[in-house]
Amino acid sequence: MAKKSVSKALRDFWYGKPHTAEEGGRRLGELHEDKTHLYKHREWRGVADTMYYFYNIWLYNYIFMVKDIMVMHGPITFAKGLWRYRWVGQTYLPVLHWFDRGLEGMRGEAMKASAWHYRAMVSTTIRQFQRMFAADTRLHGGKQNELYKHTIAHNETVWGGVFYPWDGEITNVPLEMIPYFVTCHVNSHTVLNYIDAVQSIGLPGDPCPMCQAESGIFVLDDVPDYAPAVITCNEACDASVSTSTLQDWFFDKPLFSLPMPMLFDDPLVKKYVMREIEELWKFVEQQYGIPFSWEKLTKKLELQNELQRFEWEKWEVAAKSDYYPINGVAQALYRIYQTQYGDWEIWHVTDKKVRKILEKCVSKKINSFPQTRHRVIAWSCAPLYYSNWCTWAYNCWGLNVIINMDSLMFDMEIRTDSYEHTLEDMAQYHMWAPMRRMAVGGMHHMFELWDYMKRFNCDMVAMYDQLQCKGVQGLHGLFEDEFRKRDIKAFWIPHALPDSRTVSRAEIRRLINDYMSTVMHEEPLDPSLLDFDDSMTW
Amino acid sequence: MKDLKHLIYFENLLQEANNELVQQAKKDGLRAIGYTCYFMPEVLLDLPGCFSVRLRAPRCTSPDIATYYMSARVCHYARSLMERALEGGFNFLDAQMATETCTATCRFQEHLQQKHLDSVDDMRIIDNDDFFCEFSDVPFKNNEISYEHYATQLRAHVLQPLHDHFGIDISDEAIRKAVEQQNEVSRLINEIGDYRKLDNPTITGYEFHVIQLCSLVCPKYLILPYLRETAEEMKTREPDMKKEFRCKVVLAGSENDDPDFTKLVESCGARVVVDRYCYGAVESRQIIDLPDGVDPVYAIAKHYLHSSNCPRFMPQDEMRARKKRIAELAKEYHADGVIIASNKFCEYWSYERVIDTVILKRDFGLPVCSIEKEYINTASGQLRTRFQAFVESVEIKKIQEGK
Repeated sequence: MAKKSVSKALRDFWYGKPHTAEEGGRRLGELHEDKTHLYKHREWRGVADTMYYFYNIWLYNYIFMVKDIMVMHGPITFAKGLWRYRWVGQTYLPVLHWFDRGLEGMRGEAMKASAWHYRAMVSTTIRQFQRMFAADTRLHGGKQNELYKHTIAHNETVWGGVFYPWDGEITNVPLEMIPYFVTCHVNSHTVLNYIDAVQSIGLPGDPCPMCQAESGIFVLDDVPDYAPAVITCNEACDASVSTSTLQDWFFDKPLFSLPMPMLFDDPLVKKYVMREIEELWKFVEQQYGIPFSWEKLTKKLELQNELQRFEWEKWEVAAKSDYYPINGVAQALYRIYQTQYGDWEIWHVTDKKVRKILEKCVSKKINSFPQTRHRVIAWSCAPLYYSNWCTWAYNCWGLNVIINMDSLMFDMEIRTDSYEHTLEDMAQYHMWAPMRRMAVGGMHHMFELWDYMKRFNCDMVAMYDQLQCKGVQGLHGLFEDEFRKRDIKAFWIPHALPDSRTVSRAEIRRLINDYMSTVMHEEPLDPSLLDFDDSMTW
Repeated sequence: MKDLKHLIYFENLLQEANNELVQQAKKDGLRAIGYTCYFMPEVLLDLPGCFSVRLRAPRCTSPDIATYYMSARVCHYARSLMERALEGGFNFLDAQMATETCTATCRFQEHLQQKHLDSVDDMRIIDNDDFFCEFSDVPFKNNEISYEHYATQLRAHVLQPLHDHFGIDISDEAIRKAVEQQNEVSRLINEIGDYRKLDNPTITGYEFHVIQLCSLVCPKYLILPYLRETAEEMKTREPDMKKEFRCKVVLAGSENDDPDFTKLVESCGARVVVDRYCYGAVESRQIIDLPDGVDPVYAIAKHYLHSSNCPRFMPQDEMRARKKRIAELAKEYHADGVIIASNKFCEYWSYERVIDTVILKRDFGLPVCSIEKEYINTASGQLRTRFQAFVESVEIKKIQEGK
C-alpha cells in the first residue's frame, strides 16, 4: 500500500497529477484563495511542464514586458502614461495572472502553443500603448511632436489594413483596443468605472456595454491625445455609430467616418464600400500630406495573407484531428486581435513557433486535450471578462472549445493582382468585422453555425447570449427552435461583454454545471472546480 | 376649440394596420407594401398599382410570442410589430420593403423574410402566397457617393422587385406621378401643421399627430379628400379664448406612433408644436423637388438622405447639424423647450438623447426634458410627473426672464 502511494507521489511529482477525480486527480479548484482567486501555491504540472511554465512563460514574459517597454519608447514614457491613465496600472501588473487563468491545467504542447499566442498579444499591446504615450500631447505639455504628426487614431473596429499604404510612415493606433478591449480581459474591474461614467451623464444601462465602456473612457477623459485625425466606423452595430458620435463631441478633431453596410451579401454594397475606402485614403493623404503607396499596400497584404494561410492550416488540424494544441481562449483572442489589428511582425514570429508545435503534434499524434468529452463550437460574441471560461470548462467537464465565431469571421485571402481586386477584397474583409459578419450582419450568417459545426466536427454548441446585443437577442427564439428541431446539444452563456456585474463568472459556471449534470447527466472530471468564489479576482 | 370634423374617423383609422381605407384599396386591386423606416421612400411604394403602409402595432401592450423570438431586451416597437405579424395582423401585406436601418427592426423584418433561407424553417409569418420581403442598404452619410449608392439600391431592391412581382409601372412618368401625389399630401399636412406656429395654435399636437399618422398608414389617394377637407376646415377654426397650455415644446426623439403619448404631454400643460421624431412630419412631409430632366430615383434618394435628421448619420457635420436643426425648429415654432424621448432599448436615441440633453441646453439655451419611454405607454404616472415638473420649470424660467 505504502509502496503504491510512494510510487504515485513520485509519478505525480514527475508528470503532474492526473486530470480526473477517478485517477486521484489534481483538484485545481483547491489551488486558489477564496474571492481573490490568488494562488495558495502555484500549479504543479510535473517537472518538465512546471519548469517550462516558470522559465519560458512566467519569467520570459515578465522579462519581455520590461524589455518591450525599454525598446519601445522607454520607461519614462511608460511611467508618464502609468501616472496619467488609470487603465495602465490596473492592467499591467496582473498580466501574468491573465496567463495563469487562461492556461490553467494545460500541459505539454497545449500549454506551450497557447502561451505563445498570449505573448504576441502582450507585445502588440505594449507597442500600441507606448506609441500612444510617446505621441500624447497631454504627456508632452500640449506639444504636438513628430510622432503625433505621424499617428492616426481610429475606432477599434476599423481594420488596421486600410492604413497599410502608409506602412512605416503613419502608425495607426485604435482608440479603444488597449484602454478598453484588452484591459477588460486582463482585469475585469477596470472597465466598470467607464461604464458607470457614461451612465452618470444619462445613458441608460441597456445599450451594448462595450460601446458604453468605449464612451465612458472619453467621458472620464482617459484617452491619450495622440493623433491629429480620427477615423470612425459604424461597425459593429447601432451603438457603435452612437459611440462615435459621442466620442466626436469630446475629441473635436478632423474626422472621417467609414460606413460599412450591414447586409454585405449584396454585390452592389461592395462597390459602395470600395468607393468609401478610397475616400478614406484621400482623407489620410490630405491630413498627413503623405501619398498613398500601392507597393506598401500589396506588400503588407501579402504578409497578412501568409497569416491567413497558416490559420487555415490550423483549422484543418483542429477540424480533422485531435492533435490541435491551442486552447479555446488563446485561439479566440489571438485570432481576433491579429485579424483586426492587421499585419505585424510579432504575429509571424508567433506563427512560426506555433507551426513547429503543431507539426510536432500532428507527426507524433499528440493529443493535447486527452480528456475531451465534447467538441464544442462557441458561437456569437464572447464574455470579455471571462474569455477563459473554456479553460475552466475543459478542466471541469471535458468541454473542448475547438473553434469560435470570432475566429471564423475573416475567412479570406486578399487578392493583390490588381487594384480592383484588392479594393474589392478589402471591402469584403472590412465588412466582415468582428461581431458583424455572423452577429449583426444578415441573419442567415448567424445560422452558418450548422455548417461550421459539421466542418469542425463539433457535437455541442456554447451559445453566447450577450444580453445587450440587439442583433443576437433578436434571433434568440429561432435558435431555440432550431436547436430543438435539429437535436443539437447547446447551452447558453448569458453575459454582458465587459460588464462582469450583470452575469458573474460564478453564474456562468453554474449554468454550465446545471446543463452538464441535468441535461447531459455527466459527472465532472474535476469536482473541485464546480463551485468556487472568484468574485474579487482580476 | 370646436372638434375637427374627421378627427374621430382619423382616430379609428389608427386602431389597426389593416384599416378601412387599406381594405378599400385592396378591394380596388392595389398591392399593399409595408415599411418601417423613413429611409424607405414611401413615395416609391405609392406608385400606380400599389400603396405604402408604414407599419404600426397599435394597442400591443404584451408581445409575448415576439418576446420569445426576440427576447425582452429588444425595442418594444420591433417586438410589437413582430407580435402583430404573428397574430396575423399584417397578412394583408403583399410585400415588405425592408431596411437595415436599426438592428431591432431589421431582425423583425428578417423574420418575415425567412422563406429565403434554407438554414431555418420558414415560419410563414405573413400568410399570403404573394408576399415577399426585400432589403435595401441605406448609407450612413450624406454625400454624392451615398446618393448614387442609395439610388442604385432603390432601383435594384424596390422598383425592380415591385415590377417583377406585381407588374408595377416603374417608369419615370409613374414615379413623377407618385411624387406629385405625395407632394400634395405634404403640402396639406404642412398647411395644417403651420397653425401650430400661431401664438395661440388652432390645432393641438395630438390632433396633428393623428392626422400625420393617417397620412403614413393609409393609401394616399383615399386619405387625400379627408386631408383637403380638414385643411379647409382649419382656415376658419377659432382658437379657445383662453390658452389651454402653459408652454410650447418641440417633441423630438425616436420612433413615436402613439398619439396618446402626445396627448399625455399636452395634458400636463405643454403644447406640442413640433414633431421631430420618427413618424413625425418635420422630415417626411418636406416637398420633394423633382425638376424636369432629373433622374427621379436619384432625386428621391438624395431627398430622403438629405431631409433625414436620423442619429444614424455618422459624419461630424451631420452630428452637429442635427442639434442646430432642433434649435431652429424651436425658434420657428416659438417653442419654449424641448422634450427628447427615446424608446427603451433604442441605441441610436439613447446616445442622441444624452448628447441633446447637454448640447441643446449648453449651446442653444433651450430647456430640455429628457425621458425614456416604451412603445405603448401604459404606465404614464411617472412620465406625467416628469412633464409637469418640466412645464413648471419652463414657466419659472419665463417669469425670471420677465416674459
